[in-house]
Amino acid sequence: MSEIRFEGVERRFHRPGGNFLALENICFEVAEREFVALVGPSGCGKTTLLRMAAGLDFPTGGRVLVGNREVRGPGPDRAVVFQQFALFPWKTIRQNIGFGLKCKGTPLTQRREIIEHYVTLMGLQGHGDAYPHQLSGGMQQRVAIARSYALEPDVLLMDEPFGALDAQTRVLMQEELVRLARDNPRTVLFITHSVDEAVYLADRVIVMTPRPGRISAIIDIGLVRRTERWIDCEHIEEVMAQKSFVHLRSRIWRLLRGLESSGETVGRAMETGVG
Amino acid sequence: MIGAAPILLLIIAWFAATGPLGLIAPLKFPSPAIALASLETIAGPGYASAPLAEHIETSLSLVLAGFAAATLTGIPLGLLLGTSRYANACINPIFQLLRPIAPIAWIPLTILWFGLGGGAKIFVVWLAAFAPAVINTQTAVRGVNRTVIEAAKVHGARRVNLFFDVTIPAALPGIFTGMRLSLQACWMVLVAAELVGAYTGLGHVMIIATEDLDSGMIFVAMLCVAMLGVAMSLLLARLEAWVLPWRR
Repeated sequence: MSEIRFEGVERRFHRPGGNFLALENICFEVAEREFVALVGPSGCGKTTLLRMAAGLDFPTGGRVLVGNREVRGPGPDRAVVFQQFALFPWKTIRQNIGFGLKCKGTPLTQRREIIEHYVTLMGLQGHGDAYPHQLSGGMQQRVAIARSYALEPDVLLMDEPFGALDAQTRVLMQEELVRLARDNPRTVLFITHSVDEAVYLADRVIVMTPRPGRISAIIDIGLVRRTERWIDCEHIEEVMAQKSFVHLRSRIWRLLRGLESSGETVGRAMETGVG
Repeated sequence: MIGAAPILLLIIAWFAATGPLGLIAPLKFPSPAIALASLETIAGPGYASAPLAEHIETSLSLVLAGFAAATLTGIPLGLLLGTSRYANACINPIFQLLRPIAPIAWIPLTILWFGLGGGAKIFVVWLAAFAPAVINTQTAVRGVNRTVIEAAKVHGARRVNLFFDVTIPAALPGIFTGMRLSLQACWMVLVAAELVGAYTGLGHVMIIATEDLDSGMIFVAMLCVAMLGVAMSLLLARLEAWVLPWRR
């Protein structure tokens, strides 16, 4: 049981000169092993939502549940990948990947096995004893993803994980993530600024509007992906050339610009969102 | 190696000003020849009741003792003040009250407590070196990157893991900065302490040489302090590079 559920979540921040409403009436669910992407302009509260699921921030109204239990703090069942990687600069790549296992008390021999598995899986061979600053941005982010995967968490929370990477590395990492998600599916909540990234990766895309942050639409991508057989495409640019992809992308863009009435999609969200 | 050039220039200027140009009288500042003669005197038969090696040994052991005491007490206190708001609220006012008093101002009182032996000087050296160790450690602990702490928490770190795997290594560069400043403070205050009262030591050499109007001997003692200070700083830098391999 690892679904994430937001039930009428509200978040106010205390600011000089009064309260500031950052999130209002957020209701949605990320089903077990589903990949949900949150898109929206800066300041719409995406990161705050993710931090609530991680147990690093708490709602001022409503509830956040993971696996039917209210989130009270961070836990090893949920791992976070941060935009700025947040690796430990004083630990080698192996020590970074093994950090969660060490905290958990996994025996050394078993820990080593798991670390080597992820070093190979992420293509970090030959860099295991390097320090993070000696690696490129793309490699550092792979280490961060490996550090989270090594704990085998039920839930993966990713906060613009590829936002700090250059365009080329970003595409490679997106393809790798699709491969990982296929071989090793997890419940994923993924934040991004990029509509392309959201449509390419997610089963569902949640579009948010700012001030206060509200859900404006929930778009189902998974059905289109399966019927149009995007999985047959090897590379991201092939997927992005598909008519269905272009259609979904323009639809989300229109929503973000506020040009399309979102009544119909919100209606569907009410039916399928919070059960 | 770039650093060697200005020092070489300074030595040449010294030769020129005190020798052929005659700009500075030997009584005010010694020529290289006078300084060398003083060095031979103190290194061989000795000066101010002991040979140079003994003066160096006295001063060096006092600095090492004071520095070790300051490091062993200052860093733990800095860690405590940096991590615990409660401890900070209790201890910081006392700290702030005592800080404006210059370490040297404690010398009269410490002579009453410990006499003219090593105890008083170690206490004063400890006092001078303590504050930089505490303040820099505390600042370093406070400045640990929030995101890295959160990253540790979401990967299952408990208090023990946070302290030993995150807080301490993240604060180490700042702690080393504190140790460097402590070490400098040690040498500054030691010579002052020895000027006031001592039987041996480099500060004591300076006092006797002043009475003898021996500028060469004053210069030799000053040079010894400078060289020992630089040597210890270099050793500390080596230690830092060894303890923090990830900063290279």
